[in-house]
Amino acid sequence: MFDEITKKQVEAVAEIKAALDKTQLEKVETKWLGRKNGVMLEIMKELQKTVGEERKQFGQAANQLKQAIEQALREKHAELSEAAWSNLLAGERLDVTQPALPGATVGHYHPLTLVQRELEDLFTSMGFMVVDGPELESDYFNFTALNIPADHPARDMQDTLYIKDHPEWLMRTQTSPVQIRAMQKYGAPLRIVVPGKCFRNEATDARHEHTFYQLEGLVLDKGINFSHLKATLEAVAQHLYGPQTKMRLLPKFYPFVEPGVRGEVTCSLCAGQGCRVCKNSGWLEIFGAGLVHPNVLEAGGINPEKYQGFAFGFGLTRLVMLKYGINDVRLLESGSMKFLEQF
Amino acid sequence: MLISFNWLTDYVKLPPSVTPEAVAEKLKLATVEVEKVTRQGENLENIVVGKILSAEKHPNADKLKLCQVDVGKEKLAIVCGGSNVAEGMLVAVAKVGARVVWHGEGDPVELQPVKIRGIESRGMICASDEIGLLDVFPKKDEKEIVELSSFNFKPGTPLAEALALDDTILEIDNKSLSNRPDLWGHFGLAREVAALFKGTLKKITAPKIKGGADMLTVKIQDQLACPRYMAVALNGVQIAPSPSWLQNRLRAVGLRPINNIVDVTNYILLDLGQPMHAFDRLKVKSLAYPAYRTDRRQAGKKSKAPTIVVRTAREGEEFITLDEQKRKLDSSMLLITNGEKNLAIAGVMGGLESGISPETTEIVLESANFNAASIRRTSTKLGLRTDSSARFEKSLDPNLCSLALAQAVALVQKLCPTARVVSRIVDEKKFHLFTGPLHIPREFFAKKLGTVIPAKSIVSSLGRLGFGVRESKTNFSVTIPSWRASKDVARAEDVVEEVARLYGYDNIPSVLPSFPINPPTEAKEHELERTLRDILVRELAYTESYNYSFVSLAEIKNIGDELGNYLELNNPISEERPYLRRNLLPNLLENIKSNNPERGELKLFEIGKVFRKNEQGESAAIKGNEFLPGQDSMLTLVVSSKDKTAPFWEARRAAERIFARLAIQWATKAADKVEPWEHPSRLTLIAAEGRVVGTLHEIHPRVSEAFGIEGRIGVFTLNLSALAEKELHHRATFKPISSFPEVKRDIAFIVDEKTSHADISDALQKIDPLLDRFELFDVFAGSAVPAGKKSMGYQFIFSSPERTLTNEEVARAEEKVIEMLAEKFGAAIRR
Repeated sequence: MFDEITKKQVEAVAEIKAALDKTQLEKVETKWLGRKNGVMLEIMKELQKTVGEERKQFGQAANQLKQAIEQALREKHAELSEAAWSNLLAGERLDVTQPALPGATVGHYHPLTLVQRELEDLFTSMGFMVVDGPELESDYFNFTALNIPADHPARDMQDTLYIKDHPEWLMRTQTSPVQIRAMQKYGAPLRIVVPGKCFRNEATDARHEHTFYQLEGLVLDKGINFSHLKATLEAVAQHLYGPQTKMRLLPKFYPFVEPGVRGEVTCSLCAGQGCRVCKNSGWLEIFGAGLVHPNVLEAGGINPEKYQGFAFGFGLTRLVMLKYGINDVRLLESGSMKFLEQF
Repeated sequence: MLISFNWLTDYVKLPPSVTPEAVAEKLKLATVEVEKVTRQGENLENIVVGKILSAEKHPNADKLKLCQVDVGKEKLAIVCGGSNVAEGMLVAVAKVGARVVWHGEGDPVELQPVKIRGIESRGMICASDEIGLLDVFPKKDEKEIVELSSFNFKPGTPLAEALALDDTILEIDNKSLSNRPDLWGHFGLAREVAALFKGTLKKITAPKIKGGADMLTVKIQDQLACPRYMAVALNGVQIAPSPSWLQNRLRAVGLRPINNIVDVTNYILLDLGQPMHAFDRLKVKSLAYPAYRTDRRQAGKKSKAPTIVVRTAREGEEFITLDEQKRKLDSSMLLITNGEKNLAIAGVMGGLESGISPETTEIVLESANFNAASIRRTSTKLGLRTDSSARFEKSLDPNLCSLALAQAVALVQKLCPTARVVSRIVDEKKFHLFTGPLHIPREFFAKKLGTVIPAKSIVSSLGRLGFGVRESKTNFSVTIPSWRASKDVARAEDVVEEVARLYGYDNIPSVLPSFPINPPTEAKEHELERTLRDILVRELAYTESYNYSFVSLAEIKNIGDELGNYLELNNPISEERPYLRRNLLPNLLENIKSNNPERGELKLFEIGKVFRKNEQGESAAIKGNEFLPGQDSMLTLVVSSKDKTAPFWEARRAAERIFARLAIQWATKAADKVEPWEHPSRLTLIAAEGRVVGTLHEIHPRVSEAFGIEGRIGVFTLNLSALAEKELHHRATFKPISSFPEVKRDIAFIVDEKTSHADISDALQKIDPLLDRFELFDVFAGSAVPAGKKSMGYQFIFSSPERTLTNEEVARAEEKVIEMLAEKFGAAIRR
């Protein structure tokens, strides 16, 4: 009898192992463990007939057989499941190198917006307020109040766009008139930046534009001096081009500041070594600045004996051209998707 | 302006270690922009003087000549296309191995023997821009080669040696000199360089001129326009070429030598910065006094004293200038006349008639000062800028006239020993310069600069620049040298700049200012612009466009607007776009048009100012009640697609998202007027909290067609200035979450096609307390519904915060809704 059971065990395990898929395995399982007429059931019936020591030994053997079958079935099940998953998943292969289709439609900020924001964020973090002003200005705010006398060349028709039938109106040539408006409105102390569109009467080509963008800044307080101007603009330069950036100030004449300077930074493209962009000088001019002229403070209703200040102006258009290496300034206002979608 | 380093160092002694490059760098850091430093004769190896022995026509080319050229030890056969090439001419020859710039463009390349149209050419006869000598030999036409015939050079002499090209030329940016009238000549710049390098400046003392007996008078009619006029007459003048030292000086800084007299006036201009003029005295006199010529022996005795009159021109008066151009003058321009005939446009250019000619024997030299503004206006109006006008318009020091005149006379006599001063030296003047003293508190410098510059250094810097300084316990008393007093130094701040730039901006420490922590005032409009950009770009995939503020007549016509609504530029850059935009739409439509052929669907927006003459903007002056035109900040977005309705809905989707993000209550409002560019039945105004702030519409197909755009365009325009004015503090508020289930019912109604969602929505408000909210989820018309009708599918959500609703309760509320819609809108349930 025991031999019989041992034989059956070998037979059962062999049959289980031979099963090719889950259906066959189920059949084998039913044959051996089936509740109706499975082999195991027959053996158990045989067991009922035995008694005493025989029954005990028979029971042990039967139990061992059952466990062996169950063990073999579990193993075979796992084996078959694994194979089935592999087969299934192999058939579900995707070309992961392919982009998701259809692509997400994305929008684009204008590059001028991006650069303007970068500067605005820096200045607002330093407690500056962002201020705006009219683009069509009066001669008074654009020139007179800024200490630009009646015969200054900047007032020429060839530099300034005037409005027909309104000789006192013009398209602002700089964001500086907002200095006066802000002084009038807010008084001192004052910390403002003024990003905005400016205009000049100039024929356009790849390097010249009649419409351009500036970011003006003004700081007024008691005891403001040149060393403050220098440190503030150094901080801006290093924010824009990295901590290793050096800045230098060179004399430049602007009627609304005294002294007036232009600011150069080490060329970020060649790290000051000299390249095509910086015309081999290693330096790039990026702003103009100076201590606010007393006449300008007076025009803004500020007492120059009490308050001093500095002002500065960045050419946003120029910063954008430099940052992205744009070779034709006219692209900025072309509305061309081929250009705009690059940002 | 070009500056010769040799000329400069005639006036200032510098240590030999100071190179021209070092001078340029220092000038850049402390004074003016130096754009370029060029060493003359750079790259002139293997370029020699050659003599053209013969010039035959090239057998295979009409415009080329085959030349035999003597270059000293050998003769070379060279093919040349120069327009002025001729036998016997002395030329510049680049031999094989020389470095030349082809046609004056690009980088230099090494010359190789080549075959040109079948004939070997063993060198090149050069044009000035091919060997970097354009400044020395300006070209009159494209194919002109350098002509050296007027020199007595031996063929074969290296060109650099022959032309004595041992100078270095500094190119200074004229704009950076605009506030420094004193730097427009070599002497003035030498004075600055001496101050920067603590070098010694050579003093110039005016030579004494002994006047003659001839009468010469000057009458100035407008003293403001002409603060000083000096003149002197000389005879015994012989016109001849200038000596080579003078020619070289002029050439080095880009001027073509003409003859000894004209060269002297140009030399003085370049040396001292004082423009001079020389008239032919006989022509001057003979024009005014016809009798003079017939009886020359009695000149000066019988005839009236020759008089120079400085007067304003008459309106429309004509005058032929030296460059043979007829100029039309007006009453703002100043003329030099002899009382009858016009001699020159003051400070700008002399006349053709009175100019120096090879026959001239007597001259009148002019050294005058003219009002800067007057000269600038004249030169601008005439479109005539000269070396002279460029200097006068910077406000020259009138004191310079006398030195310049004395130097000029001395130089004329040196070049032309027979010349004699025959008239008295006329000097009519009336001017005042403020030269101080300025009393500047000692601490003023530190207060402005944030660092203490030692008093010794202040005094020394100012002294080197020619300022007079007297120190007291509390003050510096500073007098301003006349050459700085005519324009740029007038107050203490100006003096601080002088000290600071000599001290060096690099030497001033950087100190960040400290401020009280007060948060900046909220810039609402600016914040709004930022938020809208984020919503449109990041959430809704719009692309931001920037456009010009100007529009064309065609664009205005194309959108169907009234031209009378537009402000116009007086002097537009392009005649095409002279009008100021009052709407962002035309430019955006142009954007669509230019992108459309390649892209079917576009979503663009712009945020910018518009200009409206009938609206009131900011004040135009500090006092008074004049105002600029309205300049509201607008957002306009456009959606274009070939689909017939999608663009409108896409634009509306953007409006919905914007207001949802801003958490502002909004509503559509029927337009009381249709603009010509609006689709009349796809149009609504948008009101935020009751006030109209925008428009949502489709572009009238007529307008799309006019712009050449296929397909439909949806537009949403929002007035950001108007929106920012409102106190918009509507933030999202929390509503407790009901713990009882909601009941949802989807019902589709068949209604008349013209029934609006807004009306249904209004009618559904507060119809039953159990109706929590409702949403339109589907609208359609077509074959599934009767003609003239549409189906509107709504989802109704019923709930109570207090209990779970029973079926009966919901059914009653639902019935109420259905009945009401049936009654008010004839709505039938679609089953």
